[in-house]
Amino acid sequence: MRFDRLGPLAIALALALGLAGPARALDLATVTSLLAQRKAGEARFTEERFVTGIEGPLRASGLLSFAAPDRFTRVTTEPRAESMAVDGNALILKRSGRTRQMALDAIPEVTALIEAVRGTLTGNALTLEKHFRIKVEGSPAQWTLTLHPRDQRLATQVRELKITGMSGELRVVELWLAGGDRSVMAIEPLQAATP
Amino acid sequence: MKAIASRRTLLVLLVWAAVVLASATQILRTPFTADLSAFLPANPDAQQRVLIEQLESGLPARTLLIALEGGDARARADASRALAKALRGSGLFEQVQNGETEAFEKVGEWLFQHRYHLSPAVDAQRFTAAGLREALGETLSLLGTPAGNAVKPLLERDPTGETVRIAEALIPASAPRSEEGVWVSRQGARALLVAISKAPGADLDGQMAAIAKVREGFAAAPSAGLTLRVSGAPVFGVESRAQIEREVHWLAAAGTMLMAALLLAAFASLTALLAALLPVATGVVVGIAAVSLIFGGVHGLTLAFGTTLIGEAVDYAIYYLIQARAQGAAHWLRTGWPTIRLGLFTSVCGFAALVFSGFPGLAQLGVFSVAGLLAAALYTRFVMPQILPHGARGQGVRRQLGAWAARAVGWLPRLRWPLLALGVAAAALLAQRSELWSAQLNSLSPLSKEALELDASLRADLSAGDARTLVVVQGIDLQAALRNAEAAAARLDPLVEKGLIGGYDTVARWLPSLAVQQQRLKSLPEAAALREALAQATRGGPLSAERLAPFLAEVEQARQRAPADIPGLRATGLSPLVDALLLQRKDGSWVALLPLQPVPGPGDKLDTAAVRQALQGLEGSQVIEIGAELTRLYQRYLGEAQAQALLGALAVVALMAFTLRSARRLVAVCQPLLLSVLLTMGLLALLNVQLGILHLVGLLLVVAVGSNYALFFDMLQRGSTDAQPTDPDTLASLLLANLTTVLSFGLIALSSIPALSAIGRVVALGALLALVLSAAFAPRRSPA
Repeated sequence: MRFDRLGPLAIALALALGLAGPARALDLATVTSLLAQRKAGEARFTEERFVTGIEGPLRASGLLSFAAPDRFTRVTTEPRAESMAVDGNALILKRSGRTRQMALDAIPEVTALIEAVRGTLTGNALTLEKHFRIKVEGSPAQWTLTLHPRDQRLATQVRELKITGMSGELRVVELWLAGGDRSVMAIEPLQAATP
Repeated sequence: MKAIASRRTLLVLLVWAAVVLASATQILRTPFTADLSAFLPANPDAQQRVLIEQLESGLPARTLLIALEGGDARARADASRALAKALRGSGLFEQVQNGETEAFEKVGEWLFQHRYHLSPAVDAQRFTAAGLREALGETLSLLGTPAGNAVKPLLERDPTGETVRIAEALIPASAPRSEEGVWVSRQGARALLVAISKAPGADLDGQMAAIAKVREGFAAAPSAGLTLRVSGAPVFGVESRAQIEREVHWLAAAGTMLMAALLLAAFASLTALLAALLPVATGVVVGIAAVSLIFGGVHGLTLAFGTTLIGEAVDYAIYYLIQARAQGAAHWLRTGWPTIRLGLFTSVCGFAALVFSGFPGLAQLGVFSVAGLLAAALYTRFVMPQILPHGARGQGVRRQLGAWAARAVGWLPRLRWPLLALGVAAAALLAQRSELWSAQLNSLSPLSKEALELDASLRADLSAGDARTLVVVQGIDLQAALRNAEAAAARLDPLVEKGLIGGYDTVARWLPSLAVQQQRLKSLPEAAALREALAQATRGGPLSAERLAPFLAEVEQARQRAPADIPGLRATGLSPLVDALLLQRKDGSWVALLPLQPVPGPGDKLDTAAVRQALQGLEGSQVIEIGAELTRLYQRYLGEAQAQALLGALAVVALMAFTLRSARRLVAVCQPLLLSVLLTMGLLALLNVQLGILHLVGLLLVVAVGSNYALFFDMLQRGSTDAQPTDPDTLASLLLANLTTVLSFGLIALSSIPALSAIGRVVALGALLALVLSAAFAPRRSPA
């Protein structure tokens, strides 16, 4: 009986301590379970790419959308219309009015990169860990995942991915390429969580 | 001996020796084959022709599918790389693919060099200021992304992204799964390789060496704990050749020994044994030589089947040896020979139907049998009376055999009604089975089910290698074919966009028609004009025109470069691609194949109707669905074979009608034949055997061989009039002849080659039934 009454209090206390207290080691499972609560979503993105030898950042913007378990699209509207859609193992690219379809698992490097975003959006910790060594920082309210590719071939292309989010939402994806080029994608969710 | 000394004897023996010698000489020059092409039709229609050309073009016949199983992914990948390296270094292979992209550097260089010939984006508009700005924008959109890493090193030389544009078109919609940098199966733990040998598909020794090299390379690779599995047409070819060789040897040995034992038992005389085997040997030698003369080569299956000829041809000798013993050669020529001659003619009618078969393999069997039987009969007619004018001396167990046969002949007619009832039951059973003739084309193939399953699973893993649907275009010359391929591609592209098909391959991506290449080169501006356009296009943009100076030089170089051509592709190691997608016909015309890829995903969708519609009106283009086409092909041949078998059977009946000159006797003779065919089919149906062309051939032979027995009984009953009872020794010769047939076909029924065992089972069973039924339904002598 006493425990019953004390239970909620204890939990509230623990939560308060956890949030207000000194930063505890946040683990991947906590972050992905926050993310996994959203089954689908849409967001606007703006991307800035810093390329050595090219003046100024290259900008692009458009819409991201995802639906658990394995659908993800990125539709770029500016400066050029192009899109990438992933559905299960199928990758469909549209550029300049041409469509190319390919099998994702035939190109493991691309798979890993797509899983970095798709796996994060859908909160799939297993997939993320399969492709990347992951460092988790921050708090459940504001966290950062730093991903390093496990695949040797991808590692020669992509040095690091840094994904920052607030609670169950992705906010920034930063990508460092091996050659020193870098891109920052800021994400602005369009609609409320739909559990 | 006086007879031997006679001039006629000498002449006969000389002619015989000359024929055998000439045949032997011909055989020595004969190539022996054991591939499956014998069971591909000889006069296909246009669609099937393309299919067969593709099968025979060599590429599938040279392609080995290799799987490494067991261990973990890393071990399999390491072994795959080591094996691929060993095979590439061996010089036996034109191409070895295992998913390692490093192997294609040379191809990449060639594509880069020819990018202005090959890129579909190159046109006059592309190099105006506006076109350049658009192209640069597209390239910039890749920079700073992971894909940009591949683009950036080429930026100064190829800022308009022609290389990307070409590569994009070459990405297959479905490709094998890749893991640890090599191809792996989607289903199981298995690394995959594809090796294309340099040796032509028909060179089975070359293929055998290639397969041995694969096994050797695997043994040398870090392969502990792994299992190697190899499949593909070369493996099938080599294995079926070995199998056929084995079978030919043991069938010939077992057949000869069985016959020898039977003859020794029947005659108890070595002289008789040799005398009986000589016509067989003559028949076999002449038969092989005839096939060689007509077809230019002999298929292993023909030889294996030839052992059944032993059973047929030995009969002539048996009849002669027994009948000449009683009455002498001169008397035999008047009484015995006409019966044998009629038997020979009916058999020849049966086998002749095979000669006109659409399958070269079956046609060979027909020619072999007709020539062999004629030679054996002629030997019996002309040579035997010269060397053994009094038949065989020995008696052996023939007396007992004859007595037993006589009792059986007396008793068998009591079974008439039960046998008739069985026949009616069989007919009723057959009428119910609508699926009776349902065996498929692959029922002809000597491959085991396991081998076919392994092959199918490897092909599924490799996905790209096995297009089930093709678009085929033709042209009177290479350029016309390429232009048609381009026209077809233009109609297919919208279907890819709409997601009705996943994609397609075409050689024109690597080898555009000269017209298209020249048009592209013509659209490349001169240096000054290009510099001006580039300056305009880059104004205010993030890329400076100065940085892109190498681009101007590259375009100028491209304007001078010779167009892409077949020798260039071959020199780059792209022969397999050229051979897979482009064929030259014997008449000099060309065919381009555009294999269609299904839309990836469950069910592998491919809207064939849309493809047909899109290609409507495009001269010389066809859509071919391989599975449906093969089924249609087989159905057509089954229908043809049914008609031929019917004709053959009718010819046998006509021949008998001509000889017997009596409707009543003809009916009496046909009765047991019809019944034995019905009972044989009924039994096969009861055993749930699916009937195919070969069973049909077997049934025809039952009619041809069985007619001999029916005729024999007819003659026997008429000959043995009044006081003279049926001669037990003659009955014994009939029983012996039947035994040799049943045994020799029984032997090939045991063969592990489906084509042979199908015929063997039908004929062994049917011939035995024909004898029993002929005895049962022999016309009764009117009571004296």
